[in-house]
This record gives sequence, C-alpha cells and structure tokens, in this order.
Amino acid sequence: MRSMKETIAERTFLLSAIVSSSITLIIFGFMLFMALPLLSGGKILRILSSAWSPGNGSYGIFPMIVGTLAISFLSVAISFPVSIGCSGFIGILGPRQLNRYLKKIVQVMTGIPTVIYGFVGIFLLVPIVRELAGRGSGMSVITAALMLSVLISPTMILFFNDSFERVPRSYLEAADGLGANKVQKLVYVILPNAKKGIIMGLILAFGRALGDTLVALMIAGNATQVPGSIFDSARTLTAHIALVIAADYESIEFKSIFACGIVLYLFTTAIVLGVRYLASGRRKMR
Amino acid sequence: MNDNRIEKTKIRVTGLNFSYGGRLILKDMNESFEESTVTAIVGPSGVGKSTFLMTINRLWENIPQAEMSGKVEIKFDGQFRDIHDRSFSPSRLRRLVGTVFQKPNPLPMSIFRNVAFPLKLAGEKDRELISYKVREALTKAYLWEEVKDRLTHNALALSGGQQQRLCIARSLVMEPEVLLLDEPTSSLDEKAAEVIEDLILHLKERITILAVSHYLDQVKRIADRIVKF
Repeated sequence: MRSMKETIAERTFLLSAIVSSSITLIIFGFMLFMALPLLSGGKILRILSSAWSPGNGSYGIFPMIVGTLAISFLSVAISFPVSIGCSGFIGILGPRQLNRYLKKIVQVMTGIPTVIYGFVGIFLLVPIVRELAGRGSGMSVITAALMLSVLISPTMILFFNDSFERVPRSYLEAADGLGANKVQKLVYVILPNAKKGIIMGLILAFGRALGDTLVALMIAGNATQVPGSIFDSARTLTAHIALVIAADYESIEFKSIFACGIVLYLFTTAIVLGVRYLASGRRKMR
Repeated sequence: MNDNRIEKTKIRVTGLNFSYGGRLILKDMNESFEESTVTAIVGPSGVGKSTFLMTINRLWENIPQAEMSGKVEIKFDGQFRDIHDRSFSPSRLRRLVGTVFQKPNPLPMSIFRNVAFPLKLAGEKDRELISYKVREALTKAYLWEEVKDRLTHNALALSGGQQQRLCIARSLVMEPEVLLLDEPTSSLDEKAAEVIEDLILHLKERITILAVSHYLDQVKRIADRIVKF
C-alpha cells in the first residue's frame, strides 16, 4: 500500500519535472524556429554584431547586447557591496530587535512590482541624473543601473543572510570564545564560510538584472545606440523585445526579436552553468 | 588559614542569579575558586553547569532572553576586577579566560592558522613571534609532535582527540589565566580522554581550571575540588 503511494508520488513529481523542463526546451526550440530566417546563411553573425537601423534594412542587436550587459553589470557592481554590508548588519552587527524589522522590510521589498521602481525612477532619479550629467534627458545607463540595483539588492541581501545563517554554530562559538569582536567574526569567520552562498546570490541577482524589462524600458532611454558613457541612453534586449512586439507582428524586425530571446536565453544558461560549476567546485575542495 | 584562602582566590562569584526566558536557572550563587587548581563542576544535566561557565567568560551575552545579576570577579595582576564592568571588553576578557567546548570546534582552516587565529584577532602582526607562540601552544597541548609536519593541513582532518587538543592549544596561545572546560572529553574515546586529563593536570600549574564533567572517575582523577550543582 505504502509503496503504491510512493510510486504515485514519484510519478507525479517526475511528470512535473518533465513538464517544466520540456516547457523550457520547447520555448527555446520555438525561438530558434522563429529566428530561422535570420539564422540561415550566416545572417546571425551580422545581427549580433551590427546596428539597429530598420530603415536601411539592418536589424542588428549589438547595441542592445552592450546595453544589457552594461546596465546589468553596473547594477550588480553597485548593489553587491551594499548588500554585503546590509546583510552583515542584519545578520551580525546590528541590534537584534532592529534587525528583525529590517529583515521584514527587505522581505517586503522583494515583492514590490518592478513597474513601481520604474516610475519612482522617472520622478526621483531621472531629474537628479539629468542635473548631474548636465546633458540629455537623464534617462541613461546609470539611471537604470541605480534603480535596478535597488531592485535586486533585497534578493541578494536575503540570500546572503541565509548563507550567513548556515555557517556552523560551532565556528561562531569558537570565534566568540576566542575573543573575536563582531566585525572580526563577520570578516574572518562568516564571510569566508559563506562564500558559496555569496557567489550564488551574486549570480542570481545578475540573472534578475539581466531579465528585468520594465526598469530599463522606463528609465534607460531606449536609444538604439552603443552607449559610450554611463550617462548615455541605452536599450536592453528585454526592452527591445517589448518595444518591437508592441509595434509589429509580421516584419523581419519582429523576427529579429527572437534572436534577442536566444541571446538572453544563452546568457541565462551561462549564468546557471556558472552557478553549478562554482557549487560543484566548492564541494570538491572540501 | 582564612587569610591564606582569600589570597589564593582567583575567581569570586557573589549573589549570582541567572535566568533564561523567565526561568531561573542559577539562584543566589556564591562561590570562589583558587588559583592553580582544577575544580570539577558536577551535577545532572540541565541544572546550569554550562550556563555557569558562560557567566565567567560572558558568552551568555550572546543568548537571547538571558538575564544575569550578581557579580563575577577575577583577579588579574593582583587586583579583583568585575568582569561585567563596562570598561572591561568581552574580547579582552576572553583572551584572559580561555574556553574549550564540549565538541571540538576547530575552524575550517589549517592547523597553524587555527592556533594563530586568536593572535590575529588580537592584532599581532609579527610572523616570527606568531610561529613561536603557535609552536609553544601546540607543545603545551601535547600536540606538537603529532602535527609538526603538517601544520598547513586542514584542521578538520585531525582525529577528535587531536581536534580537542588543538582547541586547547588555540586557547593557550593567548596565555590565559583561567581555562573553562565544558565536558572536554565527552565526545572522545577513552584513550584520547586520558591524554586530555593528563594535560589538564599539567596545565593547572599556571592556570586556574574549571571543568564541567559527567564522569565520576574522571573527576576523581583530575579535581582538587568538586562543586555540586
């Protein structure tokens, strides 16, 4: 009887695993199929490396690839130190009572829809960046990166915090017993032993920055140019997909967004593989 | 006779109350411990023996919902100091009062770095001095001969008994005046326990030792005095 139940449970989980993984593969296959007209005859290389100029028959997505990478790398670079500091404070340095509330606030922050960050960015951040840059609209790489860093920080903070909490108690006791103060405990014991979690959180946050659409769409300016400075306007792959889809369904432009999809897919895959490589690498070392 | 006892007193506990989450665990305790002796603290589990040790190194302050009143004084440089005094930082106290836990707790780093860790915390930079002190501490803890050729190996690869002696060495490297041992041999086999008992007897020449123990024959072997909880 029990084995019957177990078999059913096993089959059910197997089925859901197959369904979810095949959906991912089907989507990828669908995108490949839709982008087929572009893929044949080496056109793909031209698309990946050339400019977006539909008027001249050029449907390259190179500016969007650069824009995506610039904005997401920059946002991670800004939010990583902030998140490490914040989770260090919540996890160890701050007073216990306050930390409970801070953690709750961070948890709430993870649930705020990105469109909120987008329009808050338009009203608060865009004018400031416009002032600072002294040129342009204020909608730029740095504007989007700053707002995105606010968006991805809570995820990172919670992830780091979890990995801090998983550091074995005996290590913390040892440090306490030997007279380590809180900062020493954080720097010498907790951070080195939470390294794996920190790397994973970092890469997941990067994935989130890469995949977010609305923030960049609303405040990066959407210019189809390769940004030359952080104050230049830029368009991300995700924003590009959203913009083209809203305008068109039939043309070759529409087909090109499937190439964007494939590139995003590959970036995400690279990130996941990176996570798994690092995770397995750590296990072997210990 | 009485004067002599006061002179030799190292730790003085007066009117100590300790409660955890509203439950009173230690009630109006008065106790004193003499220099260079081993005191065994015995009693059934759950009566607050480990808690008592935590009031002497202030580790209790990390426990949420714990409350303590009363006074714990330790004689440093001939002067009794209230260890809970604001001017006395827990870090400084814990360098003078070493703690060895029930389960050996080496850090996931090399043998050398484990023993050098408290020196690093204390801000010691002189490499030669660090090497010298690490060697000295390992020798005192009867571990040097066994590990001298593999100081760079991971401490977690040592046997349980060796790990515990490593933890003792790590406490000794700061030259503490008091050593608190919380059932230091309970996770070890008989042979490893014997080495540690022998070590404790050797260390008491210079250090005041308080040891929680469950084993009566061990208590008989090592203790100058027994405090029942």
